[in-house]
Amino acid sequence: MATTSLAGTAVVQSSKAVTRITERTTKRRAKGARRRTLWPFLLPSGVIAFFILLYPLGYALYLSLFDVYLDTGVSTFVGLGNYADLLGDMRFWSSLLRTVGIVASAVGVEFCLGLAVAYGLYRLKFAVRGLNLLMFLPHIITPVVAALFLKWVFAGRWGLLDSVLAGMGIFPPDWLGDPMWARITVVIADTWQFTPFMILVLFAGLNTVDQSQIEAAQIDGAGGRQVLFRIMLPAIRPLIVFVLTMRMMDAFRYFDTIYVLTSGGPGSATETITMQTYALAFRLFQVGKASALGVITLVIVMALAAILIGVVGRSKERA
Amino acid sequence: MKKTRRLSASQLLLFLALCLFTAITLTPVAWAFLTSIKQPIDAFAIPPKLVFEPTLEFHHMVWFEKGFGRFFLNSAIISVSTVLISVSIGTMAAYGLSRMRGKAAKGILLGLLSLRMFPHMLLAIPFFILAKLLNLIDTYPAMVLALVAINQPFTIWLMHSFFVDVPAEVDEAAAIDGASEWQTFFKVVLPIVRPGLWVTALFSLLLAYNEFLFALVLTGPNTKPLPVAIAEYGGEDLNYWSLSAAAAIAIMIPIVVFMMLLQKHLVRGLALGAVK
Repeated sequence: MATTSLAGTAVVQSSKAVTRITERTTKRRAKGARRRTLWPFLLPSGVIAFFILLYPLGYALYLSLFDVYLDTGVSTFVGLGNYADLLGDMRFWSSLLRTVGIVASAVGVEFCLGLAVAYGLYRLKFAVRGLNLLMFLPHIITPVVAALFLKWVFAGRWGLLDSVLAGMGIFPPDWLGDPMWARITVVIADTWQFTPFMILVLFAGLNTVDQSQIEAAQIDGAGGRQVLFRIMLPAIRPLIVFVLTMRMMDAFRYFDTIYVLTSGGPGSATETITMQTYALAFRLFQVGKASALGVITLVIVMALAAILIGVVGRSKERA
Repeated sequence: MKKTRRLSASQLLLFLALCLFTAITLTPVAWAFLTSIKQPIDAFAIPPKLVFEPTLEFHHMVWFEKGFGRFFLNSAIISVSTVLISVSIGTMAAYGLSRMRGKAAKGILLGLLSLRMFPHMLLAIPFFILAKLLNLIDTYPAMVLALVAINQPFTIWLMHSFFVDVPAEVDEAAAIDGASEWQTFFKVVLPIVRPGLWVTALFSLLLAYNEFLFALVLTGPNTKPLPVAIAEYGGEDLNYWSLSAAAAIAIMIPIVVFMMLLQKHLVRGLALGAVK
């Protein structure tokens, strides 16, 4: 429920007009002119959704209860054994911790940077459209290609960053080879691709804030910063919750970039939950256990989304 | 007078700051482009050379010698089929949902939204096993069906947002004139949302073109699309660096075209694109 209205807010079409139209039509329909047979329109999509989304999901849940090895075809029922195994495995906990760390830093940096740039664009009176379009490019480049671009920047010795630093006589860190720097590089990569999305959504949101409210605050003597933090940000809080939730869920399943940049290495320094699931399923062929890990990921992501919507959404009512 | 001048000074500062941000953002792309037109000896120079003799040799190789044509064709077949199926059935479903009374439609839309929470990895496993059982690994249908399925929530939401903008009075007028449900849909409502249809098709194309995980799992030597091909691209060859840069730039070209076509609709598409 909350999420739909949030998704609606993100659409910077005048949603009020839409609601008005919907209300009008519902009223008119309530007078009840004719019965419509609409289900045939849903049928093809429904068939696809059932056979290619819901059935495979059910199958994955089913698989998660078995000890299945793809190469040998051996399959034994283990009940919740896979889940118990994973929860008792240090490797699971450390990759979960890494994932949370990477997701939190990436989404945090993206939000702060995105807000700063969006506010800058909002204050700027010219060239906004062109700048916005240019800075948007990284977001729609094929993620694998984007990861390659960054790999060439961060690559040891011949990468752009290293050769510039070496040219200045600075000895550069091993960006992709050192565990800590590899994690930072992965966060930078996600930031590079998704800050533009933050900027776009936040910029659009800032533009929907009621001008008369801003002017009233300015007359009361509020400065630019106060207007931003006291008036504008509270006004777009639902949008902020929406964009943070979406980014969090996406970052959790972040795969392409890590696969290309570090493939989880060095060692397991950038092995996130998604990377671990991939390795379990497609390298070790333990599809039962991998499915269980997928289900656990889903539960965690849903819980985090619920917390985010609950906590940040609720503080709106308090304010 | 004084005030306007101060204002424009701060505007100029703001403009420069944003230009700097944009420049940093675009540096990796520019660097890749420069690498793609450098001879290997220039590409490995330290400090990086900004003045060099450009060559289109590697771009030529990518397009005409290294078999990238095949991967382009695979990507095109997969993305275009996905868009055709996904948009046509998604549009119908979106229309149906936008015209339904009661709570069912809302429930279905919410259900679609929550489907996006599912980690793709969780779907990749059953997709892979089922495709293997049905002998569909390394065929176009397996990849297209998987992409249609994950595109559905997005396509339906985006088209739904366009259909909701068309007042139901339009349908009712058509019904009074004696049009059937299907005639109303095809002849009256669909033409009104045609711009929306294009936007949805382009976004859907972008999602299919960029997809990596499912392609990695479901395609093989015969159907491999561009993202997988370039991720596997490598070798000890010294030319590799410039060559893969040229390939990466080639993959990006259609994206830049999409973006120019889409720029007016970016916000609506992406906000709902998050529904993917």
